[in-house]
Amino acid sequence: MKKVYIVGGLALLFAACKPSVNVTTPAKAGDVVFTNYMAVGCSYSSGYGDKSLTVSGQLNSFPQRLFEQFETINTNGAKGPFIQPLVTGDNGYPEAKLVLGKVTYCDGQIAMVPVSTTLPLDSNGSWRYLSPVNNGQINNISVPRIRVADYPVVGYGGLNKYAQRFYYDPSKRPLDELYSRVFNLHPTFFTLWLGVTDVLGYAASGGQGDGTGAAVPVTLNIYNSSDITPTTVFTAYYDSIVTALTSTSASGALLNIPDITALPYFTTVPANGLNITRKGFADTLQAMYSTIMFDKVFQEGANYYIIKDHDGQTRQAVPGELILMTIPRDSLKCAGWGSTTPIPKEYVLTTDELQNIRNTVSKFNYVIQQECQLRKLAYVDMFSFMKTLSSGIAYNGINYSTEFVSGGAFSLDGVHLNARGNALVANYIINTINNYYHSTIPQTDVNKYPGIKFP
Amino acid sequence: MKKHVLTASLLMSVMTSFGAGFQLNLQGLRQLAMGGSGTAWPWDASTIFYNPGGLARLKGVQVYGSMMFIMPSTAYGNRDNSGVTSSNEQSVRQTFTPFNLYFGGRVHEDSRLALGLGIYTPFGSGLKWDDNWLGKYIVQSIDLKCVFFQPTVAYRATEWLSVGGGFVFGAGTIDFRQAMPVHGMLGADVDDGQAHLHGSATGVGFNLGAQIKMRENLQFGLTYRSQVNMDVSAGAATFNVPTSLRDSFPNTKFDSRLPLPQVASFGVGWRLGDVTLQADLNYTGWNSYDTLRFDFKQTTSSLSNVRAPRHYRNTLTTRVGACYKLSNVVSLMAGGAYDPTPVTNGFVSPDLPDADRIVLTCGISIKPARGLTIMAAFEGVNSVKRNGTYDHAGFNGIYKTSAATPGIGLYYNF
Repeated sequence: MKKVYIVGGLALLFAACKPSVNVTTPAKAGDVVFTNYMAVGCSYSSGYGDKSLTVSGQLNSFPQRLFEQFETINTNGAKGPFIQPLVTGDNGYPEAKLVLGKVTYCDGQIAMVPVSTTLPLDSNGSWRYLSPVNNGQINNISVPRIRVADYPVVGYGGLNKYAQRFYYDPSKRPLDELYSRVFNLHPTFFTLWLGVTDVLGYAASGGQGDGTGAAVPVTLNIYNSSDITPTTVFTAYYDSIVTALTSTSASGALLNIPDITALPYFTTVPANGLNITRKGFADTLQAMYSTIMFDKVFQEGANYYIIKDHDGQTRQAVPGELILMTIPRDSLKCAGWGSTTPIPKEYVLTTDELQNIRNTVSKFNYVIQQECQLRKLAYVDMFSFMKTLSSGIAYNGINYSTEFVSGGAFSLDGVHLNARGNALVANYIINTINNYYHSTIPQTDVNKYPGIKFP
Repeated sequence: MKKHVLTASLLMSVMTSFGAGFQLNLQGLRQLAMGGSGTAWPWDASTIFYNPGGLARLKGVQVYGSMMFIMPSTAYGNRDNSGVTSSNEQSVRQTFTPFNLYFGGRVHEDSRLALGLGIYTPFGSGLKWDDNWLGKYIVQSIDLKCVFFQPTVAYRATEWLSVGGGFVFGAGTIDFRQAMPVHGMLGADVDDGQAHLHGSATGVGFNLGAQIKMRENLQFGLTYRSQVNMDVSAGAATFNVPTSLRDSFPNTKFDSRLPLPQVASFGVGWRLGDVTLQADLNYTGWNSYDTLRFDFKQTTSSLSNVRAPRHYRNTLTTRVGACYKLSNVVSLMAGGAYDPTPVTNGFVSPDLPDADRIVLTCGISIKPARGLTIMAAFEGVNSVKRNGTYDHAGFNGIYKTSAATPGIGLYYNF
């Protein structure tokens, strides 16, 4: 008898060898039916990154990630296939994507920076996309660079190669295309992320155009792409778009506009990057600008650059103003840009321009939030997300941030997210959906997807 | 402008915990079989570790050897921000073989003085996950091995009191692998870089004990084992990174210090006929281990020295055991222990997913011939399921660790 006990006891002890934590929460849809998921948006939803569109970028878009997570739900989960209008290759369409490469500057310094890939482009076959299934089903109809302001433009497909690629009828308005797509897919759930480009065009061009929201159409109802869309126009067409998307009684999530001034594109080159090593040079500059800068003193060390402001006036940049990442480094280093020659205004966001951007973002976000309340849709606060990302998000051993390259979340264009950044966004949306619609959708493993590649 | 591309450190959480959960309490088989208790009762030459004072009580001169086979395993369940638990992972199966050798006894039959030498393994375990698991950027594998050499002197001061002490010299190796979030342009999309740190360490300390024989059947023990700072000097740090990052992550040397904590123990043993009962309390000074540092010989803007706060708390472990003398040949033993974790919440890292542990043990000893004893013991360790967070790296989850440890050994009395 005793022996039996001992043997039994040993068996119990051996059971200790294989621990398990059987704690997986079943994925539940909550108040939503995810069966037909449709994504609508601009570059940020399309998988655009590294300043171009590639098939791997598309396959790592956040809508793709969302679909994969929605698909894990048993009841009312998403049903495939999830069709994106894929390009055929990985080197960029229509222009070459950016890769990290070595360049030698005019002063002999060698640096690793984004350069256009020299690999052959793959425009053949990418100019037109035909969906292989269900009468041309496409789930992600996001078009790089499209604005809310573009939705009423007749013949938009002729103006944007990315729209032309897959639109049923490129000669019609994007709003018509949207209705056709909704009719075709009958979405039960959608994500909408539009409006970023309506203000980003102004910011990325260094604040060209009016900027106060009083812009008038260049021709017909087409607005200058480097100006800010008037709030009235934004409000009207954002509402039209949401009306189209909810016409099949779909649930959905509206993503608002992040603080675009926190993008690496605007924060990588410091405005006080003028490094003076000789007292003599400081004195020279002082003499040169004595008529406009009696209260400013150049000194050895870090100085704010000399810039052209919005009105073309020469002055020294002030704290908080931003220099664009696209500024030619050779001109900064060897042609006296920022010191003896003012930095051209298209590379600078001045205090006034930044104020225009921030005012617009908060006005647009108010509109988006109102739409959410009115139509009972989930409000995904990307503005907060970006704020959190700029102070750093610790995720499974990596500190993701808005830092260029080393922050790990942005692609080499400094504006768009890379595969991991898209996965972070997908997780943030999932959080919002879980809270708003009482679902339990699991998050995706961000670190599973490719980061930036080094030569 | 090279700096603007790679300013912040990509290598974030190098070796942040290292060590604590790898402490082994496997220095003697009888003690192992009785929940790890053994401070009060000098059973055999392994008392050189458990209580050096007990060495002066041994009859004759003894040679002792034992070996254990630890088979630890950890399960992890991922819990994301929204509280949804989505994936389960299991650590890779490994077997570690710590060993103990003791030799010692009174210098001659009537002497109050005893001498001995102990060679034992206070740390000798590791943890290995799949190379592509969820926590790969924190740890892929960690391995810590350490052998202590302890020459010991004991003296029977009175009929009831023996004292002893030993000098401790420790030698060991550490090995650590972690994925780095850098990918080459060639190769698969998610081919990570890897940091590999490997080094050998040495340290010194001491082990003191007093053994009190109140009566033939009631004995007490008090011991103090000092902190041993295992210093790693000129360990090899190797970084497998794309060519263009070679200058940012040069292969270099590193220095570090792993402080193995001080332990104060109190034990009591009580004999009732054929049954001996014993109990120990171990107070372990983990809080000396408040920061872990790694200093690289060559640092760059991407590779900086590591200072990881630990904030361990001191722990009090309770151990109980019993030995039943079935006959003059065979004895049976059983016991258990409750071992609370030193790791505070917010610092539960997957290189050491430590939690409160419950230990159950059993064993047998057989005397097949005069002077010879053969022992076998088995220990099962189960950690309480722990919902841990590792704030600094943004890594959360539910952990459960188990280990099965069979061991065999023998000793011979001259």
